[in-house]
Amino acid sequence: MVLLFVVPLVFSLVTIIPSFFDVQALQALLQHPQFWGGIALSLFTGIISTAAALYLATIVAKSASSATARDAGFFIALPHLALAVGITFLIVPTGIVARLIAIVFTGWTEPPQIITAQDPWGLSLIASLVLKETPFLVWAMLSIMNRQDVKPLLAQHEKVGKSLGHGARSIWYRVLLPQILPRLVWPIIAVFAHGMTVVDMALVIGPTQPPTLAVVIWRDLNDGEIITNARGAAGVLMLAAAIAVIIAASWLVLRATCQLRVLYLTAGPSAERHSFNTGAKLWQILRVIYLAVFLILLLQSISGHWPFPHLAAQQFTLKAWQTLFTDNAPLLTTLCHAAAASLLALLLSLTWLESQPANRDNILLFICGASLCLPALLLGLAQYRLYLHLGLTGTHTALFFAHLLPTTAYVFIMLQGPYRDFDPRWSSASNGLRISSLQFLLRVKLPMLKSVVWSATAVGFSVATAQFVSAQLASSGRHATLAMEAVSLTSGGNRALIAVYALALMALPMLAFFLGAILGKPRWSTA
Amino acid sequence: MLNRRHFLASSTALLASVPFATLPSFAADWASVEAEAKGQTVYFNAWAGSDTINAYIAWAGDLIKARHGVTLEHVKITDTGEVVKRVRDEVAAGKADGSVDLVWINGENFRAMKNDKLLFGPFAETLPNFQFVDVAGKPTTRQDFSEATDGLESPWGMAQFTFFADGAKVANPPKSMVELLAFAKANPGRVTYPAPPDFHGTTFLKQVMVETGADAMALAKDSDAAGFATVSAPWLAFLKELHPVLWREGKQFPQSQAQVTQMVADGELLIGITFNPNEAANLVAAGTMPATTTAWQHAGGTIGNTHFVAIPANAKAKAGAQVVANFLLSAEAQAKKADLNTWGDPTVLAISALSMDEQKMFTGTSVAGSVAAPAPTILEPHASWVGMIEKTWLENFGKG
Repeated sequence: MVLLFVVPLVFSLVTIIPSFFDVQALQALLQHPQFWGGIALSLFTGIISTAAALYLATIVAKSASSATARDAGFFIALPHLALAVGITFLIVPTGIVARLIAIVFTGWTEPPQIITAQDPWGLSLIASLVLKETPFLVWAMLSIMNRQDVKPLLAQHEKVGKSLGHGARSIWYRVLLPQILPRLVWPIIAVFAHGMTVVDMALVIGPTQPPTLAVVIWRDLNDGEIITNARGAAGVLMLAAAIAVIIAASWLVLRATCQLRVLYLTAGPSAERHSFNTGAKLWQILRVIYLAVFLILLLQSISGHWPFPHLAAQQFTLKAWQTLFTDNAPLLTTLCHAAAASLLALLLSLTWLESQPANRDNILLFICGASLCLPALLLGLAQYRLYLHLGLTGTHTALFFAHLLPTTAYVFIMLQGPYRDFDPRWSSASNGLRISSLQFLLRVKLPMLKSVVWSATAVGFSVATAQFVSAQLASSGRHATLAMEAVSLTSGGNRALIAVYALALMALPMLAFFLGAILGKPRWSTA
Repeated sequence: MLNRRHFLASSTALLASVPFATLPSFAADWASVEAEAKGQTVYFNAWAGSDTINAYIAWAGDLIKARHGVTLEHVKITDTGEVVKRVRDEVAAGKADGSVDLVWINGENFRAMKNDKLLFGPFAETLPNFQFVDVAGKPTTRQDFSEATDGLESPWGMAQFTFFADGAKVANPPKSMVELLAFAKANPGRVTYPAPPDFHGTTFLKQVMVETGADAMALAKDSDAAGFATVSAPWLAFLKELHPVLWREGKQFPQSQAQVTQMVADGELLIGITFNPNEAANLVAAGTMPATTTAWQHAGGTIGNTHFVAIPANAKAKAGAQVVANFLLSAEAQAKKADLNTWGDPTVLAISALSMDEQKMFTGTSVAGSVAAPAPTILEPHASWVGMIEKTWLENFGKG
């Protein structure tokens, strides 16, 4: 199982590091007219979106309920790309918001000349990233807070804080959060790396002249000229280096400002009892936006000709939906690969957990975490080169591995904690009853853990459906998935079809999510 | 007879030049090509930015499957440069059964593949249906962006740069770049073109180059830095005057021609561009554009070319690919393609060379959205100009 990750990772280092010494490519990159603008935009969108998502997540997690956790899991399952498409439909000058304004307030008869989606500053990209990453961070914080080793600790701290006279808000920011945040480092890095390197979302809603560096690189990697490909490879390394520099710099800044933070943290006890509603309200807004995205996609998917400023199309048609099902290769490819990848990921993770001692988990956790934090462009390029050498590009095998890698990483990370927390006394009891270890696993342990097992598999499935960069490179365009099809459709003009593909991208993870919830439902309830 | 000699000569040349272990699927006669093709799957890598084109390819696929037993898979791509890259990578890695069997191509991508010996052939001029191609009347069927095709690609359709608009909103369409500039100044923010490397955007830039006084003789030759500098000065000056009155003040551009078309249909833009003189009529037929739509070409002529299909040197289904290429050249396929309700792409065939029955298939009538007064075709600048144009554009306008 380790090999699954180590081979592509090592291969990437071996084949890509030399491009770093490719002085010509590096020079060409620095002279690329869009390099400096692109990297500035990447840094801006990456840093601002991470900071904003983290800030919002701390507010939401403060007053989180079990419903929050459920929603968060649901939001995470929706692919970034689908969200970006939906938001674009909402805010473009011919979008529903502009039409509402036109009809209610202004009487515009032509679409307004305002800059919304694909704005040159990357603000619409940042907004989409924040919408997508906040639930992820909320979910990560809640899982940390519910960990068996953390939960009692937090409860204790809370008690002590209260007895020292801290108000609820003060306890959260001064006592609990400082315990949680250090444990949140990996998810934060993953969010940041993703924000800096995202390609599919940036192609849809990101700026264009210049685009973010990730898009500049993506174009270079797909160019017909060898020199340009080399420039793209140098760009991938440059982007990875920029991420590393920013992470190192933040660490230094955090260390240097340690004294300052101590000032704040010890400035209590304060009884400030700020209303706890902010978090709940924020969450409510988030839910409304997700709902609006879903509704506009649904409306657009059945709309024919729809001139401005009408609020509804002149005719409705199911043509786009028919295309999805008659031209069903992308749908089936996605379904098969995501299902197979998530199930195999589950099998691999269980095999590891059953066969390896717990103290080896950290190695694998680190590798999984690292593979999620490395830029998708870097891993994608590395995998592409590996498959090329093996003569596998354009095959289902290559496409499958491109899906399996990130899926397994997520499934293992989700499964490891709860699995290792399983009470060993059940095992001892079963041993006493002379039940074979396989029987124990199948009839006692897995049924008791089935909720975790199936929700991890559902997350794995949704991760698989959202794969774009590595899947696109590995499949050489031969086998299109929904994500690839959606990206190529967005450069075209058929909005109904784009909406249908975005909805299909959303529907598959949703189905997996519900299926996971049904399969994972306990047979009896103690409530 | 000439055909056969051509065949033999090329087969030997091929054996010498293609390093792959598999024997080239270049058979001595067409029947054996067809026999070998049966059961093969042809991965046709084709730009997929238009629904009507995608539907046409699906139509062709169904017929080819039924008649020749060849499965046609449309690999949808946004930029043919991707395919050049993929084939080059595969050939460099020694992959003999490549992932691309047939590619829709012309211009700089053809030149790149031809120069780097990434193409199979010559095969085009020995296809049975090639005899009907109008090589005399349409010289671009053998000269692709001033580059000899040498039988390495088979002509598929004709294209000429064309503009369109809703006649109710644009009463007097601008018939030159100078008039277009005046129109944009009068309607700021309502005109634009797709950013290169979208080929429509690149062609718009070439059209500007032609109309800002570039010498046709110079454009037909390999570009060099000095030659480009002379030509590009008035070109850049024009663009710098035009951009501030474009959509979003020329600081952002749509990424594709389809996006521009959608924005014209929405009323966000006033003028659309296309490479297919019949696209506007096609849009009217599809209900995307109103019946008042008009299409026009600049009075002094607009850039026109031919688009082709080619087979990569490492294609797996070379026989199947030839069968597909030959079908695409058939009168039936060409007439269907030229039909305004299907795609509206002009044929490469000499209609007079066809049988009377076949000629009848091409009877088109003038419908709403057709080009009222067709202008002369201006030949594409040599393929080497594309890179210079794109690079210079990016340096000057790519930074926002």
